[in-house]
Amino acid sequence: MLINVTFWSYFRDHAGCSETVVELETGATLAKLHEIVCEQFPKLADARNSTLKAVGLEYESDDFVLSDGDEVSFFPPVQGG
Amino acid sequence: MKTELTISTDAIDETALAKRRVMDDGMGAVVCFLGVVRGSEGDASITALDYEAHEEMARHQFGLIFDAVEKRWPVESVRLVHRLGVVPVNEPSLWVEVTAPHRAEAFDACQFLIDEMKQKVPIWKKPLPA
Repeated sequence: MLINVTFWSYFRDHAGCSETVVELETGATLAKLHEIVCEQFPKLADARNSTLKAVGLEYESDDFVLSDGDEVSFFPPVQGG
Repeated sequence: MKTELTISTDAIDETALAKRRVMDDGMGAVVCFLGVVRGSEGDASITALDYEAHEEMARHQFGLIFDAVEKRWPVESVRLVHRLGVVPVNEPSLWVEVTAPHRAEAFDACQFLIDEMKQKVPIWKKPLPA
């Protein structure tokens, strides 16, 4: 299955792009996607523990099971206000 | 509860926002908060902050926070404006207004809104050095 990943804020600079597509086996979790993304974009691995992850418009935990076509966002801690 | 959310690159016009305030006669409290850009970030002087949002998700997350406010306090209305793009030092990036029957719930709800926003709403800022 294919998962669309978008990077926000300085994660975009660390990745060198604003989005990518990752191919995963059916039933893969958000944690697996994060692991693969950190391998592909090593600068993002430094922020692994502080990375916020959303599927669509909702925050999801590492054990969230992804579906084909999911839109995933990875970003650093938010700073509004 | 009435809600109004504005996420925009336009400057925040406090006077215009205040003029548009509509309150029921049972409401006795209005709490307004302005978040203003400071002239420094850490030890460095800056000229502005450049705000970016995942806007669709930000609107959704603000909606969830407004729902939580409504469940917890007898608030009449919430209006919130967050500015994006370059916001110069001394200018507001955030304006929040809560109207309620009494000051306690208005203050508490306003504080809660801002605390939750700082945890959950996907907005980021980049300092622009002096």
